Order: sequence, then C-alpha cells, then structure tokens
Amino acid sequence: MAISDDPAYQPLDKVIELRLPSKLGYERVAMDTASSLARRMGFHPDRIESLKTAISEAVTNAIEHGNQHDEAMKVVVLLTARDDGLVISVADQGQKILPQEHTTPSPQIADVMERSDKGGWGIWLIRELMDEVEFTTAPSGGNQVRMVIHLEP
Amino acid sequence: MLEDDLTVTTRDQDGVAIIDLVGDVTTFAEDKINNAYREVTNTGARFVLLNFRQNDYINSAGIAILIGIVTEVNRNNQKLAVSGLSQHFQKIFRMVGLAQYADIYQTEEEALSGFDRFRG
Amino acid sequence: MTASPATTMSMELTLPNQLGYELIARDAIAAFARRLGMPMDRVDDMKTALCEACINAIEHGNLLNPDLRVHILCHVDAERFVIEVYDQGLRRFVPPSSLPNIADKLNGTGSLRGMGLLLISQLSDESGFVPRDEAGNCFRFAFQRSGAAHGCR
Repeated sequence: MAISDDPAYQPLDKVIELRLPSKLGYERVAMDTASSLARRMGFHPDRIESLKTAISEAVTNAIEHGNQHDEAMKVVVLLTARDDGLVISVADQGQKILPQEHTTPSPQIADVMERSDKGGWGIWLIRELMDEVEFTTAPSGGNQVRMVIHLEP
Repeated sequence: MLEDDLTVTTRDQDGVAIIDLVGDVTTFAEDKINNAYREVTNTGARFVLLNFRQNDYINSAGIAILIGIVTEVNRNNQKLAVSGLSQHFQKIFRMVGLAQYADIYQTEEEALSGFDRFRG
Repeated sequence: MTASPATTMSMELTLPNQLGYELIARDAIAAFARRLGMPMDRVDDMKTALCEACINAIEHGNLLNPDLRVHILCHVDAERFVIEVYDQGLRRFVPPSSLPNIADKLNGTGSLRGMGLLLISQLSDESGFVPRDEAGNCFRFAFQRSGAAHGCR
C-alpha cells in the first residue's frame, strides 16, 4: 500500500513468461494460460475465445515455421496484464524467418479451394481477431508477433 | 502422449450421412475426417452433415481440412451442412467464408430438417 | 509422430511475485499435464500442490515483494512428472524440528507454511527442498506418470 501512495511510483507491468516445447499440441498450454489470465482480468467470454484462437495460431506458426518442429527449441510467450488490456508476445528461435510480405495475407476461400494447399489462414485470423498486431524480430533474432486485446471499460 | 483429442464416427439419419466430430479439429484430425468423408461418399451419400460436439479447439489447420471437404462436396454434387458449433466457431466459419458453401445450424435436428428443401 | 519414451519434455513459467498469479500457473501446468496424458485425478492433485508451493514461494521465500519473480520449471520423462518452484530467497527455508500435524494447527501453534508442505507431501509422490548454492529456495515435487505409485489410487 505504501508503495502506491508515492506519486513517483510507476507500477511494473505484470509479466508472465511461458517457455514451451516446439511440439504441436503444446499451444494448448499457451491458450489455457492466456485464457486463465484474461478471465481474471474481466474479459468477456467471446473475447477470450478470440484470444485463444489468435494465440494458438501464433504459437502454432512458431512451432511449425520459426522452430521447424525442433522440440528442443522453445516458443516464448509473454503475457502482460495492463489496466487497459492484455499484451501477448510470441517469439520463436528463428530457424526460418517470416518474410514481411507474408504478414498481411488476405486469403479468399474461392481461390483457396482451387489450390492443393488449403491453409494460410493463421496470420489472417490473428489480424481479424486482435485489436493490434505487429510482426517484428525478437531480441533472440527469431520471429515475434505482438498482439494486443483491449479491455473494454 | 495425446497426439489428438478427436473422435470421428459416422451414422445415417433419414438419408443424411452424419459425421460426428467430438473433440479438437487440428492438423491431427486430417486422416480421420477425410476417411470419414470418403466412407460416406463411397456409400453414395448426397447429404452430409458435419456435427460438431465439445469442439473448444478448431484451428487454421482444422479449417484447411474442412475447406478440403467443402471442395470435394462441390465436386461430388453433394450438400453439406454443419451443426453444433460454438458461437465463436460459427463466427470463424462465417469470417473464413465456409458459410457460403455449407449451411450452419445450431443443432443436428435443425440441420436435418434443413436438408428437406433439397429433396424432391 | 509420437516422441520416444526417453524424450524429456519441459516447460517453464515465470510469474510476478503476487498472490493470485498461482492460479494462472495452476491452469498452465494443468494444461501441460493433460497434454502429456496425466490422469485427471493426478492433474487435480498437481494443481492443488502447485498452488501451495507457489504461495509458499510468494509469501515466505520472496516475502511478498512485488518486484521479485517466481520461476516454475516442469520436466517430464517416461517415468516422472517433476515440478520445481524457485523463489529469489529473501528468506531461506529452515526445516522445522518436527513434522507439522493437524492438532498443532488447530491449537494455533505451528506455521501455516508447514501445512502447505504437508498437503503437497500428501498429494505428490515425492517432495522437498533442493539444496542449492545460489540464493533462493527450490522446492521440488514429483508425480509418477503411471499413477500407480500413489497411495490413494
């Protein structure tokens, strides 16, 4: 209590750091951790579902592309609870760098149905479901996606 | 290790081939779903219902599998409907455009009666 | 697709030193354990034990200092599911002279911390502080993956 009485006191961001094996299926751990935090922050259940889908796509991309399914490589997920929302950052160890032009896809189902590969929806879904999305390079040199979901007052 | 958490079964109800999908629809689901679809198609199904249950996790890899099914359904002149999805995944299906190719119903019963307009 | 039984799977989680975050850790570890096919009743044991261990670390090891962190390391091989909870050790754990018992608690003698440790020892297959040279306490508890070793089953 005494600390927050000090006008110069800046509360530290409350960060949860999660390091997961690069194996498909373990994105569930990130989904459940984020949803547990978001529930306690007071997000609406619909928004939590959107968050879970976005984080699953980000972690799955990190496992499949960034870390090339190498189980020894970690996917690092940072969850930062703020008064106005939740910031989620997902970083891989960059075995394969995501070209910037692949970070703004706009797939159309009619075109996709003509292709043999029916995928390519992950990053598009993240952008549709989150309030802010930014693709950058992690301090480790890997790919990093930073997503923000706003907490409506 | 739990590689996947999906159970796929098929049954026939009033001339509709129902594929029950209980659990997660992710990359691990591909063979199970494609095999079930092939099985009902080989028996001549005209109407196919994907009936989802307890599907709290469908990801983009799962969506890609379902787009594959939609593509086959169009090619084989079948009718496809979907039931049992949570509100969130109904929204995702609409966003992706799957709703243009498959009618989305809340329940299996509604989906079954929805096929009636194609009969004749 | 299936990892060889000898493969070790691990995840790490770092939390702000604040009561309440143990609930997020609980949901993260439960998701990891479910992914690895642990039986539901053992997952429940693990959740309760983890909360007790985190609360000990936050309250006693880190003395509720909000600038500190609690680190959780979870590693799993074919036989065992091992969880280690690290604090930054503002106060070193001193083993009690005698094991806590319920009568002392009801009398109001004996610390509540001892009660948490007693609970963890009942729920897990092995538990205890790990001696280390660095500052900070490390509390380790483990579960047999067969589940058969547990007395309650």
